[in-house]
Amino acid sequence: MRATLFALVCVACVETVPPPHRLGRPERSDAHLAVSWIGHATMLIQIDDRFVLTDPILVDSIGGGVSRRKVGVPIDPRDLPPLDAVLISHMHFDHLSLDSLGKIEHRVHRAYMPQGGLVYLSNMAFDAVDVRRWETMEDRGMQITAVPVDHVGNRYQLDTWMHSFTGWVVRYHGVTVYVSGDTAYTGADFRATRERIGHIDLALLAIAPIHPRNFMKAVHMDPDEALAAFADLGADRMIPMHFDTFVDSTDKPHEARDRLAFLAREKKLGDRVRILEIGQQAVVLPK
Amino acid sequence: MLAQGVPSPEVGVGGVSPAAGLRWQLTPLLYSFGLYRKLSPWRTFVVEPLTRQSGSLELFFSPEFLSARTSEWIARTGIHATFPLLERGEKLAITIGAGVCFGAETSADFEGGVSILFGTFGLFFSYAPGVTLAPATLSLRVRLF
Repeated sequence: MRATLFALVCVACVETVPPPHRLGRPERSDAHLAVSWIGHATMLIQIDDRFVLTDPILVDSIGGGVSRRKVGVPIDPRDLPPLDAVLISHMHFDHLSLDSLGKIEHRVHRAYMPQGGLVYLSNMAFDAVDVRRWETMEDRGMQITAVPVDHVGNRYQLDTWMHSFTGWVVRYHGVTVYVSGDTAYTGADFRATRERIGHIDLALLAIAPIHPRNFMKAVHMDPDEALAAFADLGADRMIPMHFDTFVDSTDKPHEARDRLAFLAREKKLGDRVRILEIGQQAVVLPK
Repeated sequence: MLAQGVPSPEVGVGGVSPAAGLRWQLTPLLYSFGLYRKLSPWRTFVVEPLTRQSGSLELFFSPEFLSARTSEWIARTGIHATFPLLERGEKLAITIGAGVCFGAETSADFEGGVSILFGTFGLFFSYAPGVTLAPATLSLRVRLF
């Protein structure tokens, strides 16, 4: 209880430190599949000539200024390539930042929202669609499918009737990437996704917040559960996300990252699990 | 709808003595010009925070209870215009409005204020020169939907 109160107080008094890596221009000509971690659940995915950005947080504070990043944004939004898709997993302030979308609205082709999510979007310049569970949207050869996860979909606490949340699968040029968004561990959802989608090259999985576990378990995976999800999905590789960016729990610094690294070593997963630092880029599949 | 039953506290000044009051806020009709364009911009009574805060014109109806040496029920109705200032209005928005105040006396009514945190909290000023009990009121607006 004391730790929870301490974490709540800390939310407002966080000092943002510079990111450990800076992303210049992140396009990679040598990559079939490359991923850059911009922090929290913001991943820039490059599949050949297509660019997808997940849950963009490109500002230092969210939620009306209530919550600040611990680690700064590692890229100038003007350096982002033209984005074929922005994927929003759910409506919480650490996933849907209107300020962040405003910074990139003229370089986004289309935003994909979970069903019912459009009501949380202001009138941006880009096209936006909401996607039903298991629905696949096709755009210039790229397929984007909303897949089931287990989370909560409201934004303002009282809008509890909203269930606007989803995971995503992106397919292009024979490459398949899974994006969990936030989710509790529900093996049935992950196995159903594997059954319907088939082979997954890369899973981007949230691994935190962990504590207080009795509360978080219903809405967030911890590293142990994320590895179970990785197995359920049958993905070739995994990159973790949603840790060490905001104060959103009573986790110790780097606790989720260190636990995942320990488990990956113990399970002898080798380079199948790649842990990035904020601002770091990985070429997952070279050309 | 139930959330709109939460009243906002206010103080009234300019009359014979300072008055304390409670004010309710109903939205019979709202047109949003900040909401994503594929959605209907019209709302009645239940208005999502962003729908109002991102830019809107609103027909408002506010029953109000003022108490100083005497007590009085009044009601204001008119038009509010809300404009986003920061974070598409979720962080900060400004509202101006005008209408009619009626009760024991009838008067023109002028309104203005700012709201923060998705419109949940706001500081609003109303001026109805014909209301002798308290022509000017300052409300701490609490608004959930």
